[in-house]
Amino acid sequence: MALLEVNNLDVRFAVRGGDLKALRGISFSLDKGERLGLVGESGAGKSVAAFAILNLIARPGYIAGGEVLFDGRNLATMKPRELRDIRGHRIAMIFQDPMMTLNPVISIGTQMVETLQAHRRISTADARAIAIDNLRKVQIPSPEKRLDQYPHELSGGMRQRVIIAIALLLEPEIIIADEPTTALDVTIQAEIMALLLELCEQEQVALMLITHDLGVVAQVTQRMLVMYSGRIIEQGPTRDIIHHPRHPYTQGLIKALPQVGEPGTRLYQIPGSMPSLNRVPPGCPFNPRCPFVMERCLETMPDYVRSGAVDVACYEVEDRLAAGKAILEVGQ
Amino acid sequence: MLAFLIKRVAQAMLVMFVISLVSFAIQDGLGDPLQELVGLSVSMEERQQIREELGLNDPLVVQYARFAGKALRGDLGVSYFYGEPTVEVILNHLPATLELVIGASLIIFFLSVPIGVYAAIKPRALLSRFFMGVSIVGISIPVFLTAIVLIQLFSIGVTVTVFPEDTGWGHWLNEALSTNGGMPSYGRGDALVPLFGTWESGFFSQRGLLHLILPSISLASIMLPLFIRLIRAEMLEVLQSDYIRFAQAKGLAPRRIHFLHALKNTMLPVITVGGVQVGTMVAYTILTETVFQWPGVGLMFLEAITRSDIPLIVAYLMVVGLIFVITNTVVDLIYGLVNPTVNLTGKKA
Amino acid sequence: MTAVTLSRWQRLRQSDLWHSFVRDKVAMLSLLVFVLMVCAALLAPLLAPTNPYDLAQINIMNSELPPMGSAGSDPAFPLGTDAQGRDMLSTILYGTRVSLLIGFGAVVLQSVLGILFGLLAGYFGGRVDAILMRIADVQLSFSTLMVAIIVGAVFKASFGNLMFGDIAVYLLIFIIGVAEWPQIARTVRASVLAEKKKEYVDAARVMGFGARRIMFRHILPNTLSPILVIGTVQIANAIISEAALSFLGLGMPETQPSLGSLIKSGFDYIQSGSWWITLIPGVVLVVLVLVINLLGDWLRDVMNPRLYKG
Repeated sequence: MALLEVNNLDVRFAVRGGDLKALRGISFSLDKGERLGLVGESGAGKSVAAFAILNLIARPGYIAGGEVLFDGRNLATMKPRELRDIRGHRIAMIFQDPMMTLNPVISIGTQMVETLQAHRRISTADARAIAIDNLRKVQIPSPEKRLDQYPHELSGGMRQRVIIAIALLLEPEIIIADEPTTALDVTIQAEIMALLLELCEQEQVALMLITHDLGVVAQVTQRMLVMYSGRIIEQGPTRDIIHHPRHPYTQGLIKALPQVGEPGTRLYQIPGSMPSLNRVPPGCPFNPRCPFVMERCLETMPDYVRSGAVDVACYEVEDRLAAGKAILEVGQ
Repeated sequence: MLAFLIKRVAQAMLVMFVISLVSFAIQDGLGDPLQELVGLSVSMEERQQIREELGLNDPLVVQYARFAGKALRGDLGVSYFYGEPTVEVILNHLPATLELVIGASLIIFFLSVPIGVYAAIKPRALLSRFFMGVSIVGISIPVFLTAIVLIQLFSIGVTVTVFPEDTGWGHWLNEALSTNGGMPSYGRGDALVPLFGTWESGFFSQRGLLHLILPSISLASIMLPLFIRLIRAEMLEVLQSDYIRFAQAKGLAPRRIHFLHALKNTMLPVITVGGVQVGTMVAYTILTETVFQWPGVGLMFLEAITRSDIPLIVAYLMVVGLIFVITNTVVDLIYGLVNPTVNLTGKKA
Repeated sequence: MTAVTLSRWQRLRQSDLWHSFVRDKVAMLSLLVFVLMVCAALLAPLLAPTNPYDLAQINIMNSELPPMGSAGSDPAFPLGTDAQGRDMLSTILYGTRVSLLIGFGAVVLQSVLGILFGLLAGYFGGRVDAILMRIADVQLSFSTLMVAIIVGAVFKASFGNLMFGDIAVYLLIFIIGVAEWPQIARTVRASVLAEKKKEYVDAARVMGFGARRIMFRHILPNTLSPILVIGTVQIANAIISEAALSFLGLGMPETQPSLGSLIKSGFDYIQSGSWWITLIPGVVLVVLVLVINLLGDWLRDVMNPRLYKG
């Protein structure tokens, strides 16, 4: 059985004039030690999905349906007390912006020690020792000194290292990393990503990597999910999807990647932009931008069809599969 | 730390300089020391001579220098009415005001923090809405009116007879809505305990405390709702921040998240505003002390105005200015100590 | 002409402001009460049974009559009479008029000062900004009420009681307006700093418009919503400040009372049991200030402007 299994998860935001559907029945699973990528444009619901797993959706958002099974137990309906035992302990999270993630008025040491003490009966001295060990693991120089420093005394890269160290403190089974390098300088991004991967491998932690960077996903993940307007439109082995994308949106994404070795070629752009949550069209949410749009796409949302090891939600793909034709390619 | 202090002290001195200019201008423009010194029978020549002797014909700059020099030595002139040095008069009245301010501050602090935090943590709870409703009514009632209503209710007492007395419920309602009164509403009482110097305290006897209750509540009444609203608003904002979510994702207990992570960040702006509000509080002591005939500097100041006791008015301005400057500096220091991102060492972070 | 007003009216009907206003019962009720009070104050000479300024209409024999419903009341005086035998209803109507006049006047004055200084400080920055904001800081740390009391005391001492009484309305508008300008100036400055960064200001500058034109034609309209929010609350503050000054004897004389001076004159009789002379004007004052504050709160929630913090 998978370590984490998300079934038909629905998240809504209650606003004036009705609910906005931020997640519309997403399902996926994560195995022990697996590396899973979650890609999509900003606003597709990636972060919402991350927070929903930990049942950390803030008002006015709420989980409207579905389940998040971790170790056979449903986090979506779990009591707050029990949830707290899992958060930070068995499932840890790394946020996007290290400048905002650490509390500015509490020392690094306290922010690490309190995490340990929230889950284990442990003396402050012992907790500090573990904290120092972990800071060393994330290659922070003179970790003893850092414990008494405050976040503003550290650079962005250093802070993200501290946050990774905090995430690893209690040897979790899953780390959810929500765009962990987006807010950092380009030069530091690769360093932090390499460190994160190395540590996950070393500690046998499953990693759910949320990013809009297809390149990173292609390099480091084993499986990937593509999200669009709160829905997973394609999921399967990363290799498979990168080399043979099925969904027109995924194809567009991959085509939009700058091709190394072909300087001077014009970058491809998917026409139009993703609708905001209150303007999602009926039927397939991608229909206004899709080159293959047909009658059905405007009416009902397509179900998933299997193509090899990949699940896709697209009528065009469905038709072609049924007709035994080759997988579609976006026309120029 | 030292650089920070020097900068703050320099600023404080600048402010004091401005206040002293204003004070000097008032004294120069309104006070006529001659009238106090001599009668009407004195001839013009004699007046002129006295003016010369007193230095009133000197250039303004010289006069100001003399005024400032004396002020620095703690000499702010002699009160027309009391016939004593004004600084002494003020020092005699200061303890009463300070005790009133302390009493009100305690009320404000111990009520505003828990209520503000509660209203932020549970914004939809009925009790929170009740508190917010009461607080907006609270800021709409002037201090002196609160004081008058408190006197009517708890000092004079109210007898309600609008419900029929011969029915059970009417009698009960009349009883429930009536108040006994009897709380002291005049002065500080006669049970003061000498502390040191001219300080006689009402904090250490039952009757002294009883006298403090209504005035302290009145003085607190305008600031309390302001602070409740401020704390709630700041805390609501803090609760939206990433670091609070991260604290939740770490699996911390709500108590620790609210009272350590959120409250500490909430209190930073509150401290700054609190420092500014000290000035407002002193202004409101004038109103409160007038209603309760509380023998503090506020009442003294108002009496000085009606008596045109110019030296005392000027001295009050200087002393109050000094108090503002000192409290603001201290508040800045405290802010710097509490907030690690403020660098007191003067080094670039 | 009508076509224009009609379309404006329709635009208002469709706006968010109108929508939330209709939804918010507290705001509607507040506005209703406020409009009623303003009307009553404006029409005081028509509505009031007697003219409290006219000594000939006052009979000292009628002094300290309780309001309707109490023993010994006179139906001619529904809210009772004060110590001089003036009809409370009439004095309150006229008093509300004085309080509102001073409240609005003071806010107009402080808005003019605040907008001017705020624009100057925000637009030019540098030394102009430093000096103006330093003054604002000092004045605010001294608290606006304190400044008002001191200025009031100085005026009283230099004009003498009689003359002060004659021009009290103008003096109070001046005192409160001058004491409160930093509030608006800071808000305007904060908005200007935010607006200055935007492209349209650069565009205007590139097109060669002068500083004055850019400030008043381009930046100012975009800072109006915070000014409106602050200004509303400031009316309430000005009315309270006026009442406080009058209560201290530094405001309106008893011969042409505001709500504050009515409360003050009644306070001397509260120990003898004549509660209505002070408490009825007190309730009117609180209701007036409360509805203005509620409207201000509602505006703040709806417009959600950048306000100066700290």
